Amino acid sequence: MKKVNLLRNIGLIILAVFFAIFFAVPLIWMISTAFKTDMEAMLGGVNIIPETFTFENFRYFFEGANSDSPVFRWMFNSLFSATMGTLIIVSIDAMAAYALARLNIPMKKALFAIIISTLMVPWVITFLPMYMQFSQFNMLNTYGALILPYSANAFGVFLLYQFFSTFPKELEEAARIDGANKWQIFMRVVLPSARPLMATLAIFSFMTIYNDFLWPLVATNTPEMRTITTGIAIMSQGSFVSSYGKLMALTTIATVPIIIVFIIGQKHFIRGITQSGIK
Amino acid sequence: MISSLKFKVIIMKKDENKLTSSLFIVPYLIMFVVFLIFPLAYGAYISMHEWSLIGGKGEFVGLANYMEILFSDGTSSNIFMNGLINTLIFVVLSVPALVVLALILALLLNSLPKRIQPFFRTVYFIPYSISVSIIAVIWLWMLDTNSGLVNQFLGNFGIGPIPWLTDTNYAWFSLVLATLWWTVGFNMIILINALNEVSEELYEAGSIDGASPWQKFVHITMPSIRPIMLFVVVTTTIASFNVYGQPYLMTRGGPGTSTEVLLMGIVRQAFELRDVGVASAMAVIMTLIIICISALQFKFLRNKEGV
Repeated sequence: MKKVNLLRNIGLIILAVFFAIFFAVPLIWMISTAFKTDMEAMLGGVNIIPETFTFENFRYFFEGANSDSPVFRWMFNSLFSATMGTLIIVSIDAMAAYALARLNIPMKKALFAIIISTLMVPWVITFLPMYMQFSQFNMLNTYGALILPYSANAFGVFLLYQFFSTFPKELEEAARIDGANKWQIFMRVVLPSARPLMATLAIFSFMTIYNDFLWPLVATNTPEMRTITTGIAIMSQGSFVSSYGKLMALTTIATVPIIIVFIIGQKHFIRGITQSGIK
Repeated sequence: MISSLKFKVIIMKKDENKLTSSLFIVPYLIMFVVFLIFPLAYGAYISMHEWSLIGGKGEFVGLANYMEILFSDGTSSNIFMNGLINTLIFVVLSVPALVVLALILALLLNSLPKRIQPFFRTVYFIPYSISVSIIAVIWLWMLDTNSGLVNQFLGNFGIGPIPWLTDTNYAWFSLVLATLWWTVGFNMIILINALNEVSEELYEAGSIDGASPWQKFVHITMPSIRPIMLFVVVTTTIASFNVYGQPYLMTRGGPGTSTEVLLMGIVRQAFELRDVGVASAMAVIMTLIIICISALQFKFLRNKEGV
């Protein structure tokens, strides 16, 4: 019986390794190509270790003389808008969700119903009018355009509402008797207990903004205001169309930070995904 | 006397209470109105006008833009219908793959020894954290006809070179492959969670009755995870319907316009043909189609479930 189990386990592990190769090889190949000369890359072959190991592709970006691909500016733009957007989303969503779940506000039921019903609305319908809005106010190519449109999403309100409506009333009551006002109760009693969920929402929002493609593509058109995602897209169709060494160095620079954030935040992220699915 | 005074104080307090409470929701509501409700209404408004990207608003035309898209034989109608058909092709090819492989990976991970599960889970899930343009660039390189790893590898066995991105059939395969690599981990995580929620007692009862692993899967696992499967199918369909980056970057809609999806068509109508009015009408129709399809899926899959 034990032997059968062992054989079964070995079989499963081989299968798991096979899939792991499928998911890992493109990334390994990307990093490997980044250290090859353009010449070696174009010649092909299946060698993971470059024959002539070069940092030239990376140096091209670190020297900063390339006005057409200011990759560190792009990374700053992406990180800055994702961070600011996340801060805005987490704070306004938490306050709104708390008000809807616990406070006495006018038209509470109707507001909640309207907000939640927009979860069904696909984003395609808002992106053109939003483009026209930003263009009329001369706000294309600004950080406002890269940050604000994400803050209207109802997902965070929905997520936190579920938590706040099950928060024990006794704790709020106790703080009220101690003389705390609504704001103090919210900040000192309710929010600290919602910390894990807010971390989930934060990572979710950060990834959404950092990885978004079509909106930053239409909302910006100067090299300085591109995000890393749109910048790479432009370069892959422009100057680097046949220079895979540089292109892969560029994607490696862009991928490594997000993978690190991702591995660190994985636990919260996974919880966020599952919570969005169950209820 | 005293009680009526008390009553008044309570009422006053209540009003003040409502005011300060409302302050909590005001910041979100401002964003919600400016960046969601207003664009929604504005989009509908634009779609009922002649509206050029450069010249701005023209005449009110009622539903003429919609008629042109749905019932004429003009350029915009061709863009829309071609885009819709290609989007449906992508949905039909990608959704089953994304759901079935996710389920296989979830089952596989769950039957691995506990200690090595987190490692493989992370490896399978990492591509999901990378943005679409990087995914597209990596796969462009992997699938390059002359020097890409895939053709180089197949060349060792005398196969190819295969035109992965320049032949329509292979192009669809490549787009689905890249999408699968990118997002299957997301569905997998949801399904792992669903599998862990299935009660152990059911499996034990199954074992006592002498059920084979396959019987257990069909009669215990599948019914228990059906609601989550429904969620996965619906969200995957919506995501596939909104596909844009992969064809935009990997095939540029080609060869010809044979992989140009609906969203690409809308963008072309708005930014190349500069016809925002018709493009907005396309976006409204696309939205209605997405909402209808998800509603239908809910209904269909719910009925099967007998709820």
